[in-house]
Amino acid sequence: MANGVETLAASPVHSQILGRTATGAAALSALGRFCRKKPLGAFGGMIVLAMIIMAVLAPWIARYSYDETIRGARMKPPGAQFWMGTDNLGRDMWSRVVYGARISVTVGFGAVLIAQALAACIGITSGYFGGRYDICVQRIVDAWQSFPFLVVILSIMAVLGPGLLNVTAALGVVGAANASRVIRGTTISVAQNVYIESARALGAGHLRIMVRHILPNVAATLIVLATIGLGAFILAESALSFLGFGVPPPYPSWGGMLSGSGRAFFLDAPWIAIYPGLAISMAVFGFNMLGDALRDVLDPRLRGVGGGVR
Amino acid sequence: MRKYVLRRLLVASASLAIASLAVFSLPRLIPGDAVQLMLDERAYGKDLEDLRAKLGLDQPIYLQYFEWLGRVVRGQLGESLWTRRPVIDELARRLPVSLELGLMALCFSISIALPVGIVAAVRQDSFADYVTRSLAILGLSVPGFWIATLAVLLPAIWWGWSPPIQFTEFSVDPWAHVSQFVLPAVILGVASAAAIMRLTRAMLLDVLRQDYVRTAWAKGVSERCVVLKHSLKNALIPVVTVLGIQVAQILGGTVIFETIFGLPGMGRFLFDAINQRDYPVIQGINLLIVSVVVVMNLTVDAFYAYLDPRIRY
Amino acid sequence: MDAFASKHFRGVTRRDLLKASLAAGAVVSAEPLLTPRRLHAQGKRGGILRVRGYDPPHFDPHQTLNFKTNNTLSFVHNKLVRHKVGVAPGTFTVEPDLAERWEELDDTTVVFYLRRGVRWHNKPPVNGRELTAEDVKFTFDRFLTEPANPLKFMLDPVDRVEVVDRYTVRFRLKEPFVWLVNMLANPTGTWIVAREVVDKYGDLKKPESAIGTGPFTLERYDPNVKTVFRRNPTYYRAGEPWVDGVDWLVMEDAAAGLAAYRTGQIDCGNWHGWTVRQQDLASLKKSQAQLVYRDWLSNVTQGIYMRTDKPPFNDVRVRRAISHAIDRQAIIESVWVKGEATPAIGRGLTEWSPRVDQLGPGATYYRYDPKEARRLLAEAGFPNGLKTQITATPGYGIDIVDAVQMVQRQLKESGIDAELKLQEYGAYIGTTFLGKYEGLAMGPFSIAWEPHTALYGMYTPEQPRNSSHVADARIVSMLKEQMRTKDLEARRKIIFDIQRYAADQQYYVYLYSVGATGSWRPYVKNYSPNSSFDYGNRSAALWLDR
Repeated sequence: MANGVETLAASPVHSQILGRTATGAAALSALGRFCRKKPLGAFGGMIVLAMIIMAVLAPWIARYSYDETIRGARMKPPGAQFWMGTDNLGRDMWSRVVYGARISVTVGFGAVLIAQALAACIGITSGYFGGRYDICVQRIVDAWQSFPFLVVILSIMAVLGPGLLNVTAALGVVGAANASRVIRGTTISVAQNVYIESARALGAGHLRIMVRHILPNVAATLIVLATIGLGAFILAESALSFLGFGVPPPYPSWGGMLSGSGRAFFLDAPWIAIYPGLAISMAVFGFNMLGDALRDVLDPRLRGVGGGVR
Repeated sequence: MRKYVLRRLLVASASLAIASLAVFSLPRLIPGDAVQLMLDERAYGKDLEDLRAKLGLDQPIYLQYFEWLGRVVRGQLGESLWTRRPVIDELARRLPVSLELGLMALCFSISIALPVGIVAAVRQDSFADYVTRSLAILGLSVPGFWIATLAVLLPAIWWGWSPPIQFTEFSVDPWAHVSQFVLPAVILGVASAAAIMRLTRAMLLDVLRQDYVRTAWAKGVSERCVVLKHSLKNALIPVVTVLGIQVAQILGGTVIFETIFGLPGMGRFLFDAINQRDYPVIQGINLLIVSVVVVMNLTVDAFYAYLDPRIRY
Repeated sequence: MDAFASKHFRGVTRRDLLKASLAAGAVVSAEPLLTPRRLHAQGKRGGILRVRGYDPPHFDPHQTLNFKTNNTLSFVHNKLVRHKVGVAPGTFTVEPDLAERWEELDDTTVVFYLRRGVRWHNKPPVNGRELTAEDVKFTFDRFLTEPANPLKFMLDPVDRVEVVDRYTVRFRLKEPFVWLVNMLANPTGTWIVAREVVDKYGDLKKPESAIGTGPFTLERYDPNVKTVFRRNPTYYRAGEPWVDGVDWLVMEDAAAGLAAYRTGQIDCGNWHGWTVRQQDLASLKKSQAQLVYRDWLSNVTQGIYMRTDKPPFNDVRVRRAISHAIDRQAIIESVWVKGEATPAIGRGLTEWSPRVDQLGPGATYYRYDPKEARRLLAEAGFPNGLKTQITATPGYGIDIVDAVQMVQRQLKESGIDAELKLQEYGAYIGTTFLGKYEGLAMGPFSIAWEPHTALYGMYTPEQPRNSSHVADARIVSMLKEQMRTKDLEARRKIIFDIQRYAADQQYYVYLYSVGATGSWRPYVKNYSPNSSFDYGNRSAALWLDR
């Protein structure tokens, strides 16, 4: 998949952009330009922002606790007291959706963090050192990538058992393979630059070069992969919930709500499924739109990256 | 060219070897073993030992690994721990089902995604572009199992129709056999369609910026000719790669659709095997999938090398 | 139909039956039965019954206790005795099947007289030959000696089985065991099999080896898809089966199954036991009122078990506090919709399960009373509550997980802070269910059709199913006593006493038996649902009228 990307030369554009946005005023004007040029991306960004705000301010926005069963309020339709209705155990759906943002943010960002960190380590070292180390590592990544996503996740989840952190770790580890390939490609092209050679001549150690020179140039790729990955991980978590391996209760993950009670009670109480479903769709939509726009802005040559993620 | 293929073959076998190790050890890391599960709650200590010995699970791990490897090389994948049926037979029955589902989904994907992607690229940033891109992302954003659930439940309530619950073999009724795949293939294809459409658009946009395309415009070549004859082929190369990956993902990833639509495919088979710790089955399926993927990667790479003379490494 | 066999069968009067079963200590229901319209009823022949079925892991009854295997085998096999068909759900009266009568010669010897003229299915290697006592002996020899037969415990007290003559079998017991006949009637593992089949196939795991004397033959098995049963033309019961065959369809997904039932693709409810899930019931009844619906209670109990061999749960006050902390009614209403609080034996086992208010002094602990719970905890030395953990598995379905969450919340309100630990099913079965856990755990207990299975394994030390690590001499002696008590009323009294004592001691905090609603299309006649694995006999008795 990454053939085209591997042979591309890295553009110094991203480092310039990153350097320029260091100052506040410049940042704001850059943001304004971004909104005007990429309205869809800006819209996506707003959705993402809303989600993060929801996650952070959850205890203040939600009217009840997410696992509080209100006696006598089983399966009530949306109304004045329960904005999104209640579920089969009498829990307020609005509160659960709001707290669900926390879970999705945790799982999504956590998994992305793990995936990108792993991918960066593997990809950068592999691309930088090259040689036999590169060949070995790439074979392992090859083998890793050949396993269908679901197979690996299920096996890891079966080994680790249910748990919020376990789901996050499993998703992160699995998502790292693809990303590492792309990072390796970018690293190879960056490493060919002359200033890398001069840094070596000046006596800089490998680690210093990798962290101070390569990493910033790869950062744009990481960002793009991260935004795409966020959407993918949220969807993956909901698929895992359907199979029984998602975030376990009582944590209110959107995927869990959709695939569990949402599905079971759909005929009687469709709101239990509709709102979490909408939340998932909007979050993924937002992340993807934002990621697309960022990619267009930061490095148009990364088109096609992450297009195959599902 | 031949040296290149040979080199890639060597590389592929190395990958396969590593993969076989992973395939063998991963299921055994899962706590709780098959014997315990088989005997459920009534297990007496000695009975567990007896059953383990009977199934050959009491030998040291590395011995089991080499024994398994030896049999694999001879083309035997062993028997299921639970049903004692040969794994190969089960795979032979279920692989076609998953393949049919996957291929139909891909066909649907491509037939929608390519034209839409081309239009979106050619009319970049127009209203049509925005609409199609949004629709594509929307298609990606809704979990597949949810669309499938709605597709199963709502027609039953509104029109009294539901997809057939019994799986029909091709030999029994070809038309019914094919039509039972249509609904799940379409839903499964929607997600891939979105991804492929975006990729096509992106790649085509890139190619359309190239100098040689600008030359073609300057020469006055018609739009259709520029797009279809000059640009498309080059743009499609990465798309083909992605397709390859999609097939691999589909092979093991159809478990959700197989569950909802009652299709006896490999996804469900693998899922059950993992839950039951049926090691030979898990190993057999994983090995098969991994081999298919490796072969596919090899083919794609060879295809590249054939298409693009620059790629000869 | 074989005239001799039907004449002989009609010759056994109800009085003889009662006398014989009482002499052998079998269970006879005192409950009024539904109008007995089986056996002599004139049904309509023809049609294929399409129902929700299962994919068994394999077909060998002596190597698993999996309900899927036994459900499937119930179509092709008979047992020595069986549960009556055509009764109210929850009634498990033993009646003759392959054995037309039996006699208890003394405390440790039971003799079974086999029906004559029963033929095996007309398939190689048995080719329709007659069933004899040798088959019965072979079956139970295999049952008792097959290594790792998880059902061996059912016939633990059996020493050996002997052939007396061609149609007579003798069971010799190691100790008095009044439940022997009930055990043989349990539709799990006691199917009669043939030696030639085992010799030919090595074991009984393959579908080709599912050969019996039952109402249907297994014609075809498509893994993950369906099993096709067709009428056995030489079945010994006159007229049965009425339907030409049964399509036993695998449907794992609840939504797809419901859609199939709604649109008439299957004839009975899509959920387990041919029921409809409570959450689907309301809309189904509204749109399809013409379907038949029948409610019953499950004979499975669900409850909390705990390490009663360690502090703090070795203190009976703590256990009673837990019981007070749970609002069983609230959980039933929210999660299961229908159900009833239950003693040690599931409410669905109607003859042996008293209502909770009849449990004497122990009944008070079933009352939802968080204040009392806190008081008991303080008395036991935990004035500020206590911290522990509660383990469960999603492997039994999401409803259980919902219930555990409610339990956790309720425990918290009474000062017991239980951390929820979810385990994957395989891991749960291998550890927690066998007693390797800390603190509390929650889940369903095994299904039972007579009180012995429901109680013995759970309260006897060193038994794998003694999940709460109970070591109470009084209960053990009561259990041993009821195993020997021949008189039905005296035995029932002991069983009730055990349940009263269990309620008082709360080694297991029993929660409830959930309600189920069976459903079938109106053209399915003479079908009486029951919560047992005996689908074969129930299917053989019904007919399709359309």
